[in-house]
Amino acid sequence: MAVDMQELVEDSVLLQCRVNETPCEEFIHPTTSLLDFLRENLLLTGTHMGCMTGHCGACTVMVDGSIVKSCITLAASVQRKKISTIEGLGEKESLHPVQAAFCEESGFQCAYCAPGMLLSTVELLNETPDPSDAEIRSALSGNLCRCTGYQSIVRAVRTAAKLYTADKETQE
Amino acid sequence: MTKQYVGNSTSTLDHAAFVSGRSTYTADHIFPNQLHAHFVRSTHAAAKIKRVDLSGAERVSGVVLAMDGMQAAEHLDPIPHFVDPIVFGGKTTNLRCLALGQVSYFGEPVAVVVAKDKKTALYAASRVNVEYEPTQAVLDASDAIDSNAPRVVPEWADNMLMQVPFGGGDCAAAFEAADHIVKTKLKVHRQSVQPIETRSYNAVWDHRESAITLYATAQNPHPLRYVLTNALRMPENKMRIVTSASGGAFGLKMHGHPEEALICLLAKLTKQAVKWIENREECLLTGGREQEHEVDFAINADGRILGIRDHFLANVGAPGGTPGWGMAFLTGLSMPGPYDVADLDVLANIVVTNKAPWSSCRGYGKEVTALALELGIDKAARELNMDPVQLRYKNFIKSDAFPKKSATGLIYDSGDYQGVMEKTLQLIDYDGFRDQQDALREEGTYAGIGVAYELTPEGGALPGTLVAGYDTSTVKVDPSGFVTVLTGVTDPGGGNRTGIGQIVADELGVEFEKIRVVQGDTQSCPYGFGNYSGRSTIVGGGSAALAAQDIKLKIITLAAVMMEVPEETIEIAGGIISTSADAGSQMSFVEVCYAAYTRNYDIAACIEPPLESTRTFKPGLISHTPDEEGKINPYPSYSNAAYAVVCEVDIETGKVSLKKFAVVHDCGKTINPILVEGQACGAVAFGIGGMLGEEILVDESGRQLTTDLVDYTMPRAADVPPIALGHHDTPNPITFMGLKGAGEAGVGGSAAAVVNAVNDALKCLNVEVLELPVSAPIVWKAIQAASLGSTETES
Ligand code: FES
Ligand code: FES
Repeated sequence: MAVDMQELVEDSVLLQCRVNETPCEEFIHPTTSLLDFLRENLLLTGTHMGCMTGHCGACTVMVDGSIVKSCITLAASVQRKKISTIEGLGEKESLHPVQAAFCEESGFQCAYCAPGMLLSTVELLNETPDPSDAEIRSALSGNLCRCTGYQSIVRAVRTAAKLYTADKETQE
Repeated sequence: MTKQYVGNSTSTLDHAAFVSGRSTYTADHIFPNQLHAHFVRSTHAAAKIKRVDLSGAERVSGVVLAMDGMQAAEHLDPIPHFVDPIVFGGKTTNLRCLALGQVSYFGEPVAVVVAKDKKTALYAASRVNVEYEPTQAVLDASDAIDSNAPRVVPEWADNMLMQVPFGGGDCAAAFEAADHIVKTKLKVHRQSVQPIETRSYNAVWDHRESAITLYATAQNPHPLRYVLTNALRMPENKMRIVTSASGGAFGLKMHGHPEEALICLLAKLTKQAVKWIENREECLLTGGREQEHEVDFAINADGRILGIRDHFLANVGAPGGTPGWGMAFLTGLSMPGPYDVADLDVLANIVVTNKAPWSSCRGYGKEVTALALELGIDKAARELNMDPVQLRYKNFIKSDAFPKKSATGLIYDSGDYQGVMEKTLQLIDYDGFRDQQDALREEGTYAGIGVAYELTPEGGALPGTLVAGYDTSTVKVDPSGFVTVLTGVTDPGGGNRTGIGQIVADELGVEFEKIRVVQGDTQSCPYGFGNYSGRSTIVGGGSAALAAQDIKLKIITLAAVMMEVPEETIEIAGGIISTSADAGSQMSFVEVCYAAYTRNYDIAACIEPPLESTRTFKPGLISHTPDEEGKINPYPSYSNAAYAVVCEVDIETGKVSLKKFAVVHDCGKTINPILVEGQACGAVAFGIGGMLGEEILVDESGRQLTTDLVDYTMPRAADVPPIALGHHDTPNPITFMGLKGAGEAGVGGSAAAVVNAVNDALKCLNVEVLELPVSAPIVWKAIQAASLGSTETES
């Protein structure tokens, strides 16, 4: 007799949320991680997988403005919430100041960690517009980078803080 | 020629894509009807396989195929080694993608399941039933060389994969003659490179052509194609390998891994796209660097090192297809590093055990050479009560001695080791720290300073293997003046594409933004060898420059005809063509390119279209013809660097924190300072991490205990101190533009500096840690043991 995995678990659930400002509605398996949902259902592959255990930060996204590790967040738990991924931050012609700063300072090499680093930086700068180096290093402690030794990343966050403040001032 | 881009910190090509989540990595490819594979892995380090029962998995709905080693062997020949040990006089063995009859390490692939989605594949794999008959595992190299030890490969007479002597001169006489002999016993632990992107493969079967396209995290796509088509018994031209953006490689993605051929086979059998993404636990199985050294120095009273003896054991795990084992060979070949020691006796004992095979690791064994030499020199300095820096100065090869042939036959191109070290000491304020050290101690702070040197042969070529010294690039200029560079070298994520783009932009005199660099596609790129050994900018940049020069000549010829001026008056810069014969007249680069394609029967008849050229750059100095002692020089380039670090040790907990770090390196000419700096800082973080926390542990039966990134503690932002960087470049006289390569250097030097700093901090307590890592528990234990020892002597 065939064993069907679908039978071993609850039925699919309907997930309704906003991803990068776009409303979305999808039936998902209740054990689907937010990471898989973003990558496989929505094809938003800018969010990366590095461990699936919550330790590397490559999968960092924002849920209602706070960063979470999407690999250990169940997609079903973000019901009616606002998700922001790296794709929503800014594009080539309209880079977000944090993105511009990472480009300017070469705050990445392979850039596999970059989406997570950038979103962690956005959260840091929203809370602490002018962070010290120690605050920067501690804010990035959930994001591993194997290429840069963090030096250019810290420099990029410093530059981002300047651009971000300037950007906000012009907006005001 | 004015250089607009080379030497400047041009930002990474396509940087906007990288920071907006729009670059494509291998795992990002998802094809229609995509299938997913999951491996069943051995739960024993050594066992006979009695039976593999796949029926449980086959009954799960959504499963397309399940396979064990016997079935795999029907379709797949053994996978060729990246570099077969037999080429170097070692032993060889047939490498199977799925275990056949026995397993020889924990985590070895035993069976595989393919299903319609990841979850189903994972679930079904858990229903494969494997019956094992465990046998005794041998885990330590010192146990494995015992004549009674169980054999890792049953058909071998012993567990010695290879035993290679390196050296020259008369070491015994040097030890006879010396005033002092300093012995250093050193244990380097098993580490792993762990890029944040793990390996992944996605194979797509083309039914019409009976061909496979493999999307792979691979550093060397062309040589991988050779390996895979051989194993799959298919023509080499029926496979295309495509590498996408790389999420870090560091040697892990050099091929020979069993999953590569297997995923291709599964695509062929299912006639669909089959994908596998390595999970972190699987990735942590790959290791490297586990070596035990006994380094003896014969030293004269004035500090001159007369001879070095180092017979070492390398525990390379079970035989594997990746070139991991070769690292231990390089550890021997790279002795005696930057030191002028002619009497050298090194014996590399490369031993197999029932641990998972090594993959190659950044540093490729040369980092262990640095550890052995640099920890040894510091120990000598402590024992002879000499300053460790002065001891190095006494023994460095002098800057006027190049080219210099080492005791193992390498030919060093250039260098100024003492100059590099002096700059490093200034950067870290060595004397200033020494002045304060005692005062700090009185305040209860155990601070220490450590220095180390590392010489890194780069750009290696091995005769009779697909590890070549040369590489090839094609440059194409379109009628609209856009430039495509297709190159045989690949980018592991460090930015060599940008460096190559800068070089071509300068050679052609066009804007950097017009350049596109394509790498890692066997269908469009010229045959090439990918990335390893810090070679990519040397040979990729060198060959692209040659090809660009060819095209530039055509453009100059044509422009001269069009402008009716002599060729030698033509200048091209920033996309504008001007002539010194007439200050007022100029043309755009684009206009001339268009004419090159469209006016070939009149004005452009003077050149042969298209504007394309393929050229190879083959660095000199490499010599594969053995000299009178049978030695070869496989390297064109010897980058080198000095490292210095200040640390503090909390003697209550053993925790080491790093306060300051300085590096000065000589990587020849720098194409892009900000990218080279990034490489250097990354290597330092590797070195630091390897010494402060990263360690792969197995239990007494050989089951791996290190399974996630909490067990394997790589450095986080707060663990790495600010790094002061300096350059002291002595251009390589024989490579393109004097490049020496950057990227591989730095792991060993920084690791050694950290250990030396810790031992400097603890010297006043008579504590010396030479069994690595210097993680908190190990340092704490050493402090406890010393204080117990001293109370015992007191009482
Ligand atoms: S993949 Fe989520 S933290 Fe690593
Ligand atoms: S840039 Fe490669 S992991 Fe951070």
